[in-house]
Amino acid sequence: MLAQLAQLILAGLTVGSGYALVALGIHIILRATRVINFAQGEFVILGGLLAYTFVTALHLNVWAALIAATLLGFAIGLLYERAVLRPAARAGEIAVTIATIGTVYILLYGHALIWGSLPEPLPFFSGGATDVSWQIFGVHIAAQQVSVLTLLALVLTLLWFFFERTTYGKAIRAAANNPIGARLVGIDVDRSRALSVAISIALAAFAGTIIGPITLVGGAAGVAIAIKGFVGAIVGGLESPVGCVFGGLLVGVVEKLLEGQFSYEIADPVVYSLLLVMLLVRPAGLFAARAAVRD
Amino acid sequence: MNRRLHGDTRLLPYIAATVVLFGIFARNDATLIQAGTYAAIFAVAAIGLSVLLGNVAQISLGQAGFFGIGAYALAYLTTLVSWPGAIPGWFPFVAGTIVGTALAAGFGLLLGFIALRFRGHYLAMATLAFGLIVAGVFRASKSLGGSVGISNVPFAHFGSLTVSGDVAYWYAWAMAALAIFFTVNLLKGRAGRAFEAIRNDELAAEAAGIPTRRYKILAFAYAGGLAGFAGTFFVSYLGLVEPNAVGISLSIDLLLMVVLGGAGGVSGATIGASIIGVTNLYGHDLENWRPVIYGIVVIVIVIAFPRGVAGLVSRTPDRKTQTAESAGAFEKIFAGVPTAKSPWLAVDRISKCFGGLLAVDGVSFSLENGTLSSLIGPNGAGKTTLFNAISGIGRVDAGRVVIAGTDVTSWRPHRIAALGVGRSFQNARLFGEMTVLENVVAGASLTERAGFLADLLALPVTRRDRRVALERARAIVARLQLEGLAGVPARDLSFGDRRRVELARALAASPGLLLLDEPAAGLNAKERARLCEDLRALRDGGMTLLLIEHDMRLVMQISDRVMVLRFGRMIADGPPALVRSDQTVISAYLGNAS
Repeated sequence: MLAQLAQLILAGLTVGSGYALVALGIHIILRATRVINFAQGEFVILGGLLAYTFVTALHLNVWAALIAATLLGFAIGLLYERAVLRPAARAGEIAVTIATIGTVYILLYGHALIWGSLPEPLPFFSGGATDVSWQIFGVHIAAQQVSVLTLLALVLTLLWFFFERTTYGKAIRAAANNPIGARLVGIDVDRSRALSVAISIALAAFAGTIIGPITLVGGAAGVAIAIKGFVGAIVGGLESPVGCVFGGLLVGVVEKLLEGQFSYEIADPVVYSLLLVMLLVRPAGLFAARAAVRD
Repeated sequence: MNRRLHGDTRLLPYIAATVVLFGIFARNDATLIQAGTYAAIFAVAAIGLSVLLGNVAQISLGQAGFFGIGAYALAYLTTLVSWPGAIPGWFPFVAGTIVGTALAAGFGLLLGFIALRFRGHYLAMATLAFGLIVAGVFRASKSLGGSVGISNVPFAHFGSLTVSGDVAYWYAWAMAALAIFFTVNLLKGRAGRAFEAIRNDELAAEAAGIPTRRYKILAFAYAGGLAGFAGTFFVSYLGLVEPNAVGISLSIDLLLMVVLGGAGGVSGATIGASIIGVTNLYGHDLENWRPVIYGIVVIVIVIAFPRGVAGLVSRTPDRKTQTAESAGAFEKIFAGVPTAKSPWLAVDRISKCFGGLLAVDGVSFSLENGTLSSLIGPNGAGKTTLFNAISGIGRVDAGRVVIAGTDVTSWRPHRIAALGVGRSFQNARLFGEMTVLENVVAGASLTERAGFLADLLALPVTRRDRRVALERARAIVARLQLEGLAGVPARDLSFGDRRRVELARALAASPGLLLLDEPAAGLNAKERARLCEDLRALRDGGMTLLLIEHDMRLVMQISDRVMVLRFGRMIADGPPALVRSDQTVISAYLGNAS
């Protein structure tokens, strides 16, 4: 019983890592541009598919594919900001929201055009089509689960260091906080916004590659990933990076527990209700210091 | 009718002609007729969303939820309920249509209540969650067929007439025509003007006596009802419904239709739904290219053509403004002013703080009816905060506000306005995209009585009210010498003109108490002289006025009483001559030499 519970929680933390990175990506773009990127989940899938191509067509090692997909994600993020977000932002908040939804369509069906509509499995990071696993106190621990959680910790540390400890990161935070003030002290606000979006999309591509071996990438998976990322962000607090990560992990755990204890059918409506309930009860999230709903 | 709606309805004859010609020429082509039928069904749902998005500026990513509620209601009532044999064959369909529409409208009401708490992207998320939950509940409900849904829904039939094929085409477009008829009526009526005001400036709309929350909820219920209505016929026509068909992708499709056609009003949504309805059916060869192209087109549209396809083919007409008789305009206003036995305004130890700053500190006064008083004081003295407290904007921390004998403390602004309180704002909050005349007509909302149903059916009462409001607005515009500007959008006005329009808008509601926040700012000497005359005329007609003003000469010239605030406290109160020579006032303004 306890072992089964631990098993579900571990599985939840692993899929939750994907949601956490989506939530964090949404947070980074929101903070820099005041836009909710509804296409975040599709960029996760795009990253996974790119990695898949690197592995199958270019015969790259999966770790090299992870780095390549992340870097390419960064470049795609720059393009996305310049071609879609920046021009749409001039037309107003509703317009830019709709533009990100248009991007969902382009990516969702664009993936199917290039890679076909069936999800593709990425090879496990331990190398190969089947994964190594260990049994500890009756709990199966797969190598991929260990990789995902380790990589999540690593990337979060890197991001924390970048935003809190480097001048670049501080400039981005300043630009997000007060664009006019930042311009006055010589920060290039447009560039820092572009950089934020690029980091966020790189993060999405990274997420797609690490969870790819477990959840498969492609098909309509991005929509569900995006939505659960939103739920995570709202649960933890859209405005709080720690909250976003925590919320994403929590959503993963809740989802797996519901699936394991009840059924697949019940898990999704409950998780989505969590979104609405949190919005109504504590819209600023579990981790927010102050209520900042009316944006 | 406002300019925007007029431009929108000008396209309707062309749409109608296209629908009729299409129905006649395509009658032998089952695929074309099918495409046309779906176009009409989606147009009904899209029109609701268009009102929400384009007229009230509220986004909804959950419209498919309402569509699904309508569809499942009809499918359930026609398929899973066993009706007694005596019931005629058409009854389940009609019952399903009515129940489905009403149920969807009811859920719209609920979502509207929830939506009041959110703005911007939080609203997008909340509505998204609503749609997901509805589809998720359908999927989890065994009694509604789980993930398979409900199939074998029979065609509607009335006697020997089966609603399928050509008949379905005409039936669906009749539904769309009904939706268009209701929507145009609604937008033409009091509700439409309220929507327009809310979209432009919610706070100013509240202050003009428009119950903004009620109208926002109404818009959600209306959009939900239309989506449900569309859903009922969708399932009857298609014969089945499953959770995925009413999931998030339908919500997004509906949004794309509205954006593509142009949000706001009826034509854009109808055109958008038709384009997507037809290309959906003919785009089978294109498969995944089709949605990719939609995505690209939508991004291009929101960036480059915010008014959509309808905006490209229809230009908003410039309309001649009719001239009106200005004489007697004020008398018309006075005739509408409610009589008050108690003082129009009494505030009792009002306090308000922002964080640690005590902006208003225990201020009490009461105004004698039919007098003109001024509130003066250095910047930051708490004058505007006091105005806000009186008109219900923001909560007061202590004290009471009594308007004409009624304690209105913590009432919402529109209810206070409805008692007869008009106000202007320091930075002139006009409805920017509306013309000067439309702004003033919006101010007359309180003088109208038409409710939702009267608007929807365009009952005589709506038309009469509208005519009276328009005449009244014209007279006020003429009286304040704004005639030359009547057709100009408010955002294009100079600062001084804005002030005068704001005064006109406030007067249109026949207020008994008029609060004017710096009415003379931005006016030239000649305009100031006219303002003085007008304010005197208003007072002499029996109106009670309270001004915030920095122009001392003007204040001393026209006020019956002057009150001086400093750091949130009243430091002087009396006739102008007395206040002018008060030592405390002089030192407050000029500093103390000692």
